[in-house]
Amino acid sequence: MPNIIVDRISKTFGNLQAVKNVSFEVNPGEIFGLLGPNGAGKTTSIRIMLDIFKADSGTVSILGGAMTEEKKNRIGYLPEERGLYQDIQLERCLVYLATLKGLEESEARGRINDYLEKFDLADARKKKVKELSKGMQQKAQLITTLVHKPEVVIIDEPFSALDPVNTQMVKDLLKEERHRGTTIVMCTHQMHQVEELADRIALINAGETVLYGGLTEIRRRFASDGVLVRAVNSLPSAIPGVQEIRPHNSSTLLKLENGKTPQEVLNTLIHQGIILEHFEIALPSLDEIFIQVVNHESE
Amino acid sequence: MKMNKTWLVFRNEYATHVKKKGFIFGILSMPLFVVLMVLVGFVSVWLEHNPAPVGFIDLNHVMGNVQQVPLKKKQPFPPVHSLPFEDESSAEQALRDGSIQAYFLLTDNYFNSGEVIMVTTEKTGANAEHDFGDFLVHNLVKDQPPVLAERLREGPNLIIRSLDGAREMAADDWVSILMPILAGVLFVIAVNISGNYLLQAVVAEKENRTMEIIVTSISPGQLMAGKVLGNLLVGLTQLFTWFIFAIIALKLLPTVFPVKFTPRVDPAGILLIAATFLPAFVMVAAFMGAIGATATDPREAQQITGWFTIPIVIPLWFTNVFMFNPNGALSVAMSLFPVTAPIALPFRAAFTTVPQWQIILSITLLCLLAAFALWLSGRIFRLGMLRYGKRVRLREAFSKSGSKP
Repeated sequence: MPNIIVDRISKTFGNLQAVKNVSFEVNPGEIFGLLGPNGAGKTTSIRIMLDIFKADSGTVSILGGAMTEEKKNRIGYLPEERGLYQDIQLERCLVYLATLKGLEESEARGRINDYLEKFDLADARKKKVKELSKGMQQKAQLITTLVHKPEVVIIDEPFSALDPVNTQMVKDLLKEERHRGTTIVMCTHQMHQVEELADRIALINAGETVLYGGLTEIRRRFASDGVLVRAVNSLPSAIPGVQEIRPHNSSTLLKLENGKTPQEVLNTLIHQGIILEHFEIALPSLDEIFIQVVNHESE
Repeated sequence: MKMNKTWLVFRNEYATHVKKKGFIFGILSMPLFVVLMVLVGFVSVWLEHNPAPVGFIDLNHVMGNVQQVPLKKKQPFPPVHSLPFEDESSAEQALRDGSIQAYFLLTDNYFNSGEVIMVTTEKTGANAEHDFGDFLVHNLVKDQPPVLAERLREGPNLIIRSLDGAREMAADDWVSILMPILAGVLFVIAVNISGNYLLQAVVAEKENRTMEIIVTSISPGQLMAGKVLGNLLVGLTQLFTWFIFAIIALKLLPTVFPVKFTPRVDPAGILLIAATFLPAFVMVAAFMGAIGATATDPREAQQITGWFTIPIVIPLWFTNVFMFNPNGALSVAMSLFPVTAPIALPFRAAFTTVPQWQIILSITLLCLLAAFALWLSGRIFRLGMLRYGKRVRLREAFSKSGSKP
């Protein structure tokens, strides 16, 4: 049974319909990407899921039903608007927020110490939060999201303000959490991160769900008739069944003629004595799909 | 053991605020201010004091064989000696050459008119008149039996009792009168300080952008209750500390100055103050929290708070009304109206016997308004928590969908 069921939620602020009949489900132990351009309604959807906002219509089931005070302890949330108490010591701030999530103080201290070591923040524990860099605060915020070992984690732009090293560390952490069985909803613009991490996605545009499903399935759905090849020897200038040949990064994209299959083109290349290093069906990147869908919607 | 979340917020609020420099300065500023005022008073009296003797001419020997007023224990400034002169010209000469600071002439018809002429110079101290007055009274009654002489010097120990016998107080028991005034002033100061802390705390949640983290961890009701109670204790800590300083001062004062009073603590008065101040504190704190949630920035919140606290101090402007007409319509109305009651009710009770039904009604109204304020602040807090730079309007809080944005 899905851990999160969002069923046709709608929300209007004044004259603005922020969310319109948005629906999706998130299964236990998966990373779910909630994508969309700025102002698409992602954050409003998250706030409705977390019972911060009340939906005008539709329902949300989280961990088997409506949100309760008890369930708040089983959910970790990293909001888009990052916030920590600036005027107190980092350790005290983290312990306070962890105890509000139902941890005993001694247990919270122990776990926070482990996280501070892991995130290379141990030396900053007695520093005031306002003295930390943006990246350090981002990592501290992530600790507050994960410290109580939540069953559901909802993170809004988890990689903002992080350098490549810390980005990789967060990615590894999210993979660990998934491995642990945590359900993760990741809201981000950074498509390459989603491609690397997410199992399934929902793309929201202008308050509506415009794309929803497994990542591979969606990429296949948007795949053009082409293959990517890399050969040891050079490719001929014309290949039967291929209407266009053009370079694509370190490979070459072969655009197939209508009715031709990748298998047929592969056979042709082998018969022509081309020694292949690499052959794959050209799938569009999530960035390309995102732009394609959003542009199509806005037309 | 897992702790209640309201308790966690309460503890965090209290620990955060009592460790602030502003709080410590606030706690120490009042006793330091009082000590400074006492010192200034002492120094000004000392500067006005002239230890040089005064002279007197008692033409009709109304004082007989004069005696100097015996020195009292712990008297900061001993009384000046009064030197007799046979005639006014010798006294005038002594005044001119500076051996005395002033002289007093008891006129021929002193017993009929009480008339005494004081001749002074610019150097005459402020103590000369008072000290000679004591000297005159002391010598006029010195031949009377000691008990009678004491009574004549000290006057009657007047006890004022109400017609129904329910209230009784000594006429010089100024502590009983001063207590509600002082308590009221301290209440206003403390409520402002801790209310402002609460307001800052709520605004800080918005400024720090911690609202979303907090409301996904704890309910707004629990959060507001923890904040209100935490800041209530901050205010009470401040009041209690000042109270301790006051007790110490009252204990120390008689060892330094010959003040003669034995303040009687009226338990009913204390109970009344506590019964009005506690719900009033909750009411004010909750409203302050609500203001914090509606405001867009701390400066705006501060401005709104200023307007909000004015009605609370209104009874202090009508001190004479409470003193001379404690059962008049205005006094009764202010002691029943919840916003003015915290100060007006104990204040009025210092001057009259307030009917029991009025006390019960006043405290009940205060408790109801405090509960309403808490409810309203929770509602406004929920509406205003994620609004940055946009104010919450009061009518939104009362709208049907006002429980959630």
